Amino acid sequence: MLWLKTLGVVLVVSGFGSYGLMGARSMDQRVEQIKNIRLAMRFLEKEITYLHTPLPLAMVRAAQCIPAPASRLFEDCSQTLQDRQGITINEAWSQSLEKIRQKSDLSNGDITVLQAVSSQMGMSGAEEQKKLFTMIQEHLNIQEERARSEAESGRKLRSYGGFILGATVVLLLL
Amino acid sequence: MSDEEMIKSGIMPFLSARIKETMLNIPSECFKGMEEIRLRCGQPLVLKIGDRDCTLDECGQLQEVLSRGYIVGAEDIYRSIAAISENSLYAFEDEISRGFITIPGGHRVGLAGQIVQSGSEIKTIKDFSGIAFRIAREVKDCSQRIMGLIYPCDLEPVNTLFISAPRCGKTTILRDVARHLSQGTKRGRGCNVTVVDERSELAGTYQGRAQMDLGPRTDVLDSCPKARGMIMAIRSLAPHVLITDEIGRHEDIEAIQECVNAGVAVITSVHARNIEEVQKRPVLRELLATHAFENLIVLSRRHGPGTIEQIVRWDELCCG
Repeated sequence: MLWLKTLGVVLVVSGFGSYGLMGARSMDQRVEQIKNIRLAMRFLEKEITYLHTPLPLAMVRAAQCIPAPASRLFEDCSQTLQDRQGITINEAWSQSLEKIRQKSDLSNGDITVLQAVSSQMGMSGAEEQKKLFTMIQEHLNIQEERARSEAESGRKLRSYGGFILGATVVLLLL
Repeated sequence: MSDEEMIKSGIMPFLSARIKETMLNIPSECFKGMEEIRLRCGQPLVLKIGDRDCTLDECGQLQEVLSRGYIVGAEDIYRSIAAISENSLYAFEDEISRGFITIPGGHRVGLAGQIVQSGSEIKTIKDFSGIAFRIAREVKDCSQRIMGLIYPCDLEPVNTLFISAPRCGKTTILRDVARHLSQGTKRGRGCNVTVVDERSELAGTYQGRAQMDLGPRTDVLDSCPKARGMIMAIRSLAPHVLITDEIGRHEDIEAIQECVNAGVAVITSVHARNIEEVQKRPVLRELLATHAFENLIVLSRRHGPGTIEQIVRWDELCCG
């Protein structure tokens, strides 16, 4: 029976520990993903304000300079716009955000910020677009800083917390 | 391509989903001769079919009484503008400041809304309130009857002025003349043709490419002021013929004289119903007095757009 109990202890501790490590990793990835979206937005701003590239093409180019899953946000939105189904940028962006919500580590707060700042994307002159993108950068910088400080404070807690919680559960069960 | 196919594939993707659905029910024969689709915020949708103004009710039935028509909302206008501009108004700032956007197929979309000025220049239009889709058609060989007058000998096209009220088909005929001259006819080889297309109507240029067939030897100066474009073309493109639309300013007349004296034939048009009306306009009277144009061709809609009402040679004009 001892080997069975030992196996149980190992499974419980490693299970809780892995969950904690995954949580810690997700916090780091969230920072990385916000940073990637911010970089893509900066690229998008240059395409829009200097080259006047239409939004569907500008988004494809922006997607090429960042890794997945953040790039999927721009690729998916661009594809929806190119399908010419009478969908506006606001709707296409919302749909893409909903899809990326499942596949990324972005929080609801990040999604809300991205949704709010995008309503005027593309639908004004280059000067107004520049102002809009400056605002988007500011919002994303705030979100990135917030995510980074949350990651710093929560990383150790989650990494060790998982194992500690696992050990506590084992002690209680024993 | 039939008119129905052209409108369904070239215009309808740029309409809001509700208007698109409504228009799908129109009988096929109504697409033939459809010239304009007009969206005005808070007003019924208007379809110009030939000389008739029609509308569509909520079920997509064609109605002659406009008040029974589908009322266009701000949402319809916004969605259409988004589709026309690919959700990228910044990419069309120059076009918007000129009041229209050309879409694939060379169709022109006129815009109405609040004008934003910067000094004396129109900077842009915002808060769009109206959109007019003007359906561009190529009527190949519509100028066949007059090509003998315009191009009687090899590489010697003749200066020709088309006189026409709006919507009488002068742009369509000019386009066909450009194509014939560029391709060559029985009477002569193909000429180098330069089209100075100030309002992107003749070539229907979209993203730098002419959407209309203007022949293999045609260069297009798109969105170029006529007078400057004509002088530029003489210096850089060595044309045999210059074709431009709707002259009327003093600098246009000076540029035409410059071209004619440089041995370049000019084929152009003015807005007027007849020669008498042309002669009442001081600038154009001055132009006629120079005898720069050997052919004056008056167009009307009497038997449909492009009806040739009168052909006058300059020697007949000056000798009575």
